[in-house]
Amino acid sequence: MSWTKKSVVVAGLAVAGLALGACGGGTGAGSAGAGGSTGGGQEAKTIKIVAAEYSKDHTKAFWDAFAKTYKEKTGYTLEVQVVSWDNIDQQSSTMIQNNQAPDILNLNAYASYAKDGLLYDSDAVLPAAVKGDILDTFVKYGTYEGKFYGFPDLSSARAFFYNKTLFKQAGINEPPKTWAELEADAKKIAATGNVGYALPLGPEESQGEFSMWLFNNGGTWKDAGKWTINSDKNVETLTFLKKLTDAKLTQNNPARTNRADAFDLFKSGKAGMVIGFSPLAADLDKSKKVDYAVAPFPTNDGSESKTFGVTDYLMAFKKPGNEKAVKAFYELYYQPDQVNTFIKAEGFLPVTKSGVGAFAGEGKLKVYLDTLPNAQLTPTDDPTWDKVKLAVQQNLGGAMSGDPKAVLDKLQQTAETTK
Amino acid sequence: MSTKTTEGTPPPTRRGRRTSGVGRVHPLVALLWLAPALALILGVVLYPAVKLFDASRGQYSITGLRKGDAGWDNYANVLSHPDLGTVLRNTVVWVVAVVAITIVISLALAQFLVKSFPGRRFVRWAVIVPWAASLVITSQLFVLLYDYNYGIINHVLQGIGLIDQPIDFLGNDSWTMFSMVVVGVFVSLPFTIFVFIAGLGAIPDDVIEAATVDGASPWQRYWNITLPLMRPALMIATVLNVIYVFNSFPIIYTLNDRNPGYLHDTTITFMYKLAFKSQEKDVGMSAAAGIFNVLLILVVVAVYLKIINWREETSR
Repeated sequence: MSWTKKSVVVAGLAVAGLALGACGGGTGAGSAGAGGSTGGGQEAKTIKIVAAEYSKDHTKAFWDAFAKTYKEKTGYTLEVQVVSWDNIDQQSSTMIQNNQAPDILNLNAYASYAKDGLLYDSDAVLPAAVKGDILDTFVKYGTYEGKFYGFPDLSSARAFFYNKTLFKQAGINEPPKTWAELEADAKKIAATGNVGYALPLGPEESQGEFSMWLFNNGGTWKDAGKWTINSDKNVETLTFLKKLTDAKLTQNNPARTNRADAFDLFKSGKAGMVIGFSPLAADLDKSKKVDYAVAPFPTNDGSESKTFGVTDYLMAFKKPGNEKAVKAFYELYYQPDQVNTFIKAEGFLPVTKSGVGAFAGEGKLKVYLDTLPNAQLTPTDDPTWDKVKLAVQQNLGGAMSGDPKAVLDKLQQTAETTK
Repeated sequence: MSTKTTEGTPPPTRRGRRTSGVGRVHPLVALLWLAPALALILGVVLYPAVKLFDASRGQYSITGLRKGDAGWDNYANVLSHPDLGTVLRNTVVWVVAVVAITIVISLALAQFLVKSFPGRRFVRWAVIVPWAASLVITSQLFVLLYDYNYGIINHVLQGIGLIDQPIDFLGNDSWTMFSMVVVGVFVSLPFTIFVFIAGLGAIPDDVIEAATVDGASPWQRYWNITLPLMRPALMIATVLNVIYVFNSFPIIYTLNDRNPGYLHDTTITFMYKLAFKSQEKDVGMSAAAGIFNVLLILVVVAVYLKIINWREETSR
């Protein structure tokens, strides 16, 4: 019948179209660094930055003001695009697929991009004085294969927050210094009907929460070039967290709780202890609902507390002709009045030695600033970490209802077999 | 067709060609009129499909950079993915549950909404709202309603005394599918109800009257007359709902925001997560999964239509 014949023709055309398109080699097969809007050899007068949205109020305001100053001082134009953290990963992946990478990208990882040969290193775009000013620990974690690619924009350090009211109610006099004390304190608080310790092991940032714990048991993610994810110390740490969960000393279902949910519990006064950072302190100060205090995170054996630091990166993409404009960007950004203004507005911590000095006057930040130069970070200088981080986010929570050692073994295997 | 043909004359050599001048248009002029629609279909449907197929045969780095050709590896990787079975099973349960429950409830509600009662107009408008509101907003609303600590549903249930501990609607693996299906039904009801209202309106009154006069009970009337006459509406509602529900992304993605892994994902969210959120973060694999999704829904719809046609033939 005519219907069948027509549909056969249409189907045939469609298949032919698809086959031709695929056999045509693909227009998306651009190699690294290709596709700038300028012709070869021509200098770029406009560069684009894709920045992550740290806060609704401050981020766009800062970058717009920065673009104005940048134009006045250097004559180059800066296009600003601010993207929420929720989908900056998707957007940057899409941009790179389409060979439309921005000139500067603000993201929480850089090593995979360095590995793909997409970035400028510090020799090309970072003034030597600036490189000397950046804190050594950040230079170390921003260096891939001997070259410094990951330039930090701001940093944060995690600290132990506790609710003084709930502590008093449960009869606890001072914050715990060891894990045994933490467990006992959580038990006392849980007995009053509140959450002892708010534990976020959900897919948003379980690697962050777990990092704080494992560093304070003397464990590491990577040691001397080898992955140590399933070391005995780390298994011990994860088993301890499972113990807390099973004994109902945490909120319901830690494996399905993200940081924001844990913070909400603490901000509404229902949780006794949580790992927080300076933006949480700023929120708590604004709402004045919770009488809280900050202390060093307890270690398993009572030894010195380790700080877990996190930094995000402003990386520069290699595009023909944009080297000068990009270099001018970094020169301006790392001026103390620019970078420290940004960090102060967002409530984070400095990344430069001069910045640490400039922030010394902030009393609330003292507990972080003292430990910042010695902060331990996750191994962001290894491109494999980008994949391991995702695997940890998706799988770590499973240990709460399964076997901690098996989960860590599988993560170790993922890390070792990723090329 | 042609009123001029008489018995015994041979049929016209070009089928469908009218001998009169009215309605005859030069092919190029026809192309001009069709051009906007063709451009749209080429640009929005065919070109992305070609690029998708192209992407599925490429090897992509975790950054999104295309590093070369992958042949059929991406397809093989999708088919050998350990969570594929779970995802497929979830998809079947999700589609069947939402479509079946929606159709049953819609039949009942449509029956109610064709009767005239005071305020019927407002009720009909109110029924549209779940469909008019953006799916993302509706899903976020339900995330808040279902929340373990602050959700109203738990609050009410505990207040009445039905339960003494809150139910973890989204985090507890045994409750998650149920919670997702509730939202799915909620947003599918309006469209289906209105399709059925139209279908019921097309049933002539005298057929029902004749049945009543003959002594048929209300249930017999419904089962033997109303439902069979609603067959076209039922078919439309089922096919369209299967397609919409299969393709539904916001509901499952938003409700599973705090759930790691793929335990409750359907093939659509699985495809998205493969590209952007999973530990694979592989655009090529995701594109291959996308091709599979298109084929899957085409097969489902084709099979369904074949069954319906077959029934139509035998019922004559």
